[in-house]
Amino acid sequence: MSTAALDYTRELPVVEGSPTAAEVDATIAAPLDQFPSRMWWIIFSIALSFFSIGVFCIGMTLYKGLGLWGVNQPVSWGFDIVNFVFWVGIGHAGTLISAILFLLRQRWRTGIARFAEAMTIFAVMCAGLFPLLHTGREWLPMYLSPYPNQHGLWVNFTSPLLWDVFAVSTYFTVSLVFWYVGLIPDLATLRDRTTNKIKKVIYSLFSLGWRHSNRHWQHYERAYLILAGFATPLVLSVHTIVSFDFAVSVIPGWHTTIFPPYFVAGAVFSGFAMVQNVLIFVRQAFNLKHIITLDHLEKMNKVMILTGSMVGYAYAMEMFIAWYGGNQFERFVFLNRALGPYAWAYWTMVSCNVIFPQLFWFKKIRRSIPAMFIIGITVNIGMWFERFVIIVTSLSRDFLPSSWGHYTPTFYDVGILLGSFGLFFTLILIFVRVLPVVSISELKAVIEGGQPSKH
Amino acid sequence: MNEKHLFAVTALFDTPDEIIHAAHETTSAGYTRFDINTPYPVHGMDKAMGLKQSRLGVFALVFGLLGATSSVLFMTWVTLIDYPLVIGGKPFWSWPAFVPVAFEITVLLASVLSVVTMIVLYFKFPNNSHPLHDTPYMKKVSSNKFGICIQADDPTFNQKAVEEFLAKVGGKEIGPVFFDLEDLDHGQHIFDPKFIGVLALTAILVSGGTYFTFNKLLYMEPFSWMSAQAKLKAQRPSDLFTDGIGMRRPVEGTVARGFLPYPFKGKPDEAAKNLVNPLLPTKEVIDRGKTKFLTYCSPCHGNFARGDSRLAGQFPNPPTLHSDKVRNWPDGSIYHVITEGQNVMPSYASQISRDDRWAIIQYIRVLQRAHNAKESDLK
Amino acid sequence: MSTPVSLEGLKKELPAKLRQVGWGLLVVGIAAIALGYVIDPRRMAFDNAIGYLFFTSVAVGSVFLIALEYIAGAVWSTPMRRVNEFLGSLVLLLPLIALPLFFHLHDLFHWTHEEALAADKVLVAKSPYLNVSFFLIRFAVMYLLWSLFYVLFTRNSTKQDTTKDPRLTTINVRLAAFFLPVFAISLTLTAVDWAMSLEPHWASTIFGVYYFAGTVLASISAATVVIIYFHENGYLPKLQRDSFYSLGALLFAFINFWAYIAFSQFLLIWYANLPDETIWFITRWKNGWEVVSILLIIVHFVVPYVALLTQDSKMDLKRLKLVAIWILIAHLLDLYWLVMPSYSEKVSLSWTDLAFPVFIVGLAIVVMAYKMKRNNVIAIGDPKLERGLSFRL
Repeated sequence: MSTAALDYTRELPVVEGSPTAAEVDATIAAPLDQFPSRMWWIIFSIALSFFSIGVFCIGMTLYKGLGLWGVNQPVSWGFDIVNFVFWVGIGHAGTLISAILFLLRQRWRTGIARFAEAMTIFAVMCAGLFPLLHTGREWLPMYLSPYPNQHGLWVNFTSPLLWDVFAVSTYFTVSLVFWYVGLIPDLATLRDRTTNKIKKVIYSLFSLGWRHSNRHWQHYERAYLILAGFATPLVLSVHTIVSFDFAVSVIPGWHTTIFPPYFVAGAVFSGFAMVQNVLIFVRQAFNLKHIITLDHLEKMNKVMILTGSMVGYAYAMEMFIAWYGGNQFERFVFLNRALGPYAWAYWTMVSCNVIFPQLFWFKKIRRSIPAMFIIGITVNIGMWFERFVIIVTSLSRDFLPSSWGHYTPTFYDVGILLGSFGLFFTLILIFVRVLPVVSISELKAVIEGGQPSKH
Repeated sequence: MNEKHLFAVTALFDTPDEIIHAAHETTSAGYTRFDINTPYPVHGMDKAMGLKQSRLGVFALVFGLLGATSSVLFMTWVTLIDYPLVIGGKPFWSWPAFVPVAFEITVLLASVLSVVTMIVLYFKFPNNSHPLHDTPYMKKVSSNKFGICIQADDPTFNQKAVEEFLAKVGGKEIGPVFFDLEDLDHGQHIFDPKFIGVLALTAILVSGGTYFTFNKLLYMEPFSWMSAQAKLKAQRPSDLFTDGIGMRRPVEGTVARGFLPYPFKGKPDEAAKNLVNPLLPTKEVIDRGKTKFLTYCSPCHGNFARGDSRLAGQFPNPPTLHSDKVRNWPDGSIYHVITEGQNVMPSYASQISRDDRWAIIQYIRVLQRAHNAKESDLK
Repeated sequence: MSTPVSLEGLKKELPAKLRQVGWGLLVVGIAAIALGYVIDPRRMAFDNAIGYLFFTSVAVGSVFLIALEYIAGAVWSTPMRRVNEFLGSLVLLLPLIALPLFFHLHDLFHWTHEEALAADKVLVAKSPYLNVSFFLIRFAVMYLLWSLFYVLFTRNSTKQDTTKDPRLTTINVRLAAFFLPVFAISLTLTAVDWAMSLEPHWASTIFGVYYFAGTVLASISAATVVIIYFHENGYLPKLQRDSFYSLGALLFAFINFWAYIAFSQFLLIWYANLPDETIWFITRWKNGWEVVSILLIIVHFVVPYVALLTQDSKMDLKRLKLVAIWILIAHLLDLYWLVMPSYSEKVSLSWTDLAFPVFIVGLAIVVMAYKMKRNNVIAIGDPKLERGLSFRL
């Protein structure tokens, strides 16, 4: 390890080179004006095929019923809930980047915030699909909302599953609003740029008539701050509440007090891995390497090693307290995780989440695109298995050995999971063609010479 | 377009430093109705323009408090007043469990309503017919220029003076912006047939859609495998049997467990001789007897078994149970009458369980004793 | 950019009066502790545990803040880092406060009693961890590790004052990376050893995080009090309002974090309603402890939350200083609430509860005066210093 002298006296530039404001416009608006490349169509059709597998499996589930899935007593939560928690987790990176890093004044977020927010919205859409399917009566979702039904009965406000309904829908709404508020000035810029009449009508409609007025910017910046201030506890609350689904119960392996922060850390962990993975392609495809720089990716990798270590801490803590607490069921569940029939899943999880990300301690690996891409993928595999391990191992080994069971997913389980990935990437591919993937106005504010020399 | 109305005079600048300087100058020159348009928020502009701090935070606080209190009050009302339900052995008002929902509603209201307030109240958006729209000025401040726009309705506005002033502070491309004549037409448009047409269409679509959704759509079951299964259902016809009835009668002579048939059917004397009250006159038994007596017997025999019922006169008057005959009857005889009926009185065998009949008898004995109390009872 | 930062015009020595107060408090504290141990050794042992946890919060928390600045590459806190380094030096004095307790472990820990072990299968199962020799080994290892990192951090930082070598910053960044996992594990074990094992049947996985939240709050508050005192009295160069805003915002964030962790722990235990867990909260909800519990919510969360809610309040030095002192007291109350219910089922106050806080405040002032005399109050060789002094949000 060489101790190369870094320059600490200067802040790293957010944008490499010094593009002018007009160049920023041109770079970011370019994908919206061009006809998609062949590569885009190929990837899009792959995504769409995956999505159609999902549509088929969902259709069959609707038509035939939940019997098509692998869930049964005692493992009545299977891929559906695993996928739900996984996708909600993916969705956490977006708001974290746009809200928390905004509050922390991390200016490097500028290049990646818009994209991450969009990912949040799409991931939450994928997530929302699963509880709905899981109910088995997808056409009766209104029973989830507190309305006075014919029996005069209300929803159960003390149930964590209802908290989920509120948390996920609030999260989706607020993320959407946050995203849209950020888009307004950019849509106005696009409105003033475009020569296409139809596009102009659409941009005018959605930019609401924004005039870049400083009398507006003033309130706008305040609103952004307020939204960030609310979104920060919101993003923590969402995965906290998801963790309550498990932790308020008395199932060994589920009922443990570290679940809320542990789930949040895991969610941020997997979300960053996903953002990093997709951004690697986006910056390549749209010539954004000077805006989404290697430094930014390196910082994301640092966040991943931090959150990955938090997750590792939680695994260790669970194990330690399971032993220390002296409860024989707890002790058994954790031994069973590591050595039982699902040990392969447990060790996949540990190696992908805790061991592989440790490679990011090395600067070379942190800054190598192929290496970080592979580690990012393993992190998401690991985080998916984390939810699988938590849900399946605990349910399949209950208090009574006579009611133990085994869970095997079916074709339809896998198909819907693939379909959710298809939906996610389809939406992302459409997004990168119709909206600016980087915030134009925020970026202009941080390029060199973008602000008065003294203020 | 012969009569042009001036909206403002605009000028463009190239750098943030210049625009900050221009804003300073404009404020100190005493103009109040002016605006700065920049492609992104420029630091220090609020101060240069002399703007007061945004009060949006106050709105957010109010909306947040509104969300918190309304959700907590609502959940309190639901769980304490409207439909109290014991869930998981917890108290009705389990405040820790309200925290998640209250928090979400707080965040939802505070953030969404703050944005709506900003857009509607502060920006007065949507508004795509502002005079600045579609001007070359707008196109440039949208991209990379910094513009200032001094409006004609400023009290000290004088087109020439303003143009000179802007040139002095270094503005380029100084020029006037006019109102769009169509937008100045402030006539009544409420009775415009187009508007009314849209209104009517909206009304029809919304009401029709709502009606369909709430009355039809919600009751359509896309698939009914679970509720429409090929199985026998209680009290439903079935094609499986020739008589078309789904429910089957038990085989003749079937005796339900614990329900041996009454052995003294039509034999009151044997009943009187053989039947013995299995219940002791304890407080619980008498209380139970009282309840059942008041439910089943009192409508005819009266609350105190005097035969003075509410139905008196409508039927042949039921007898008092305080007659010597009844008082001297053994318990078995009364039991027999309740079970089999007598004269107009029908059988109560299907309404009153066996034990309850014996309890009623104990209560009747109490009533009889009370009506013929002895001196010794008072001690 | 601008002229190099110099120490000229900055005062160096703390006022004599303050030093006298410091020595006075120190002596009074020691006397009170000694007297307390003579009169009521059992109660004093519990007070000692609170004192140890509080002292660790401030001392180890300060070392953590140093590491955090390095690893996060933060610049706003660079001009203030020396205060953390001074407070971090308290780490070296940790055995001072733990020592009297080693003679009273029986008073404090139920699991040290042989007869309790004999009667209790659960304790036997835990005895590979909960036994006196391993407890002492853990303490020694943690103390050595903390001291090692403290010494390494500050040695590099002090060396930089003269050499101005930016590579020393790089070394400290690497050290910080190694320190963070050490800190996470050692602080968790401290919380388990000194607070959770007081009730050896009870366990909660979030407990380490809970103590961590309090630790960060206490160390930031301690630093805030000192920084504002130095700033107001001309020991530190003029700092930007934005730097204080960052301090205030950090406090505000961790107040919320503490509440979040505390509520999560409570909700999960309350909801699942398992007798071996709820007992911990039930003892804190009767015999007068319910008053302390409610007070804790108000003192530790509601009041500082409201006090720091608006943007302006986070930059108001006077308010910030008051809130920082308030949070230090709140952390003490928090530890009292954690530890004391194991001493007696009924809530009780005694003058001995004040002995350790008095001693610690006195010690901190004395150490501060000593450190100020021998060290530069700002890290003048730090390459990030200029950016820190001109820090803008």
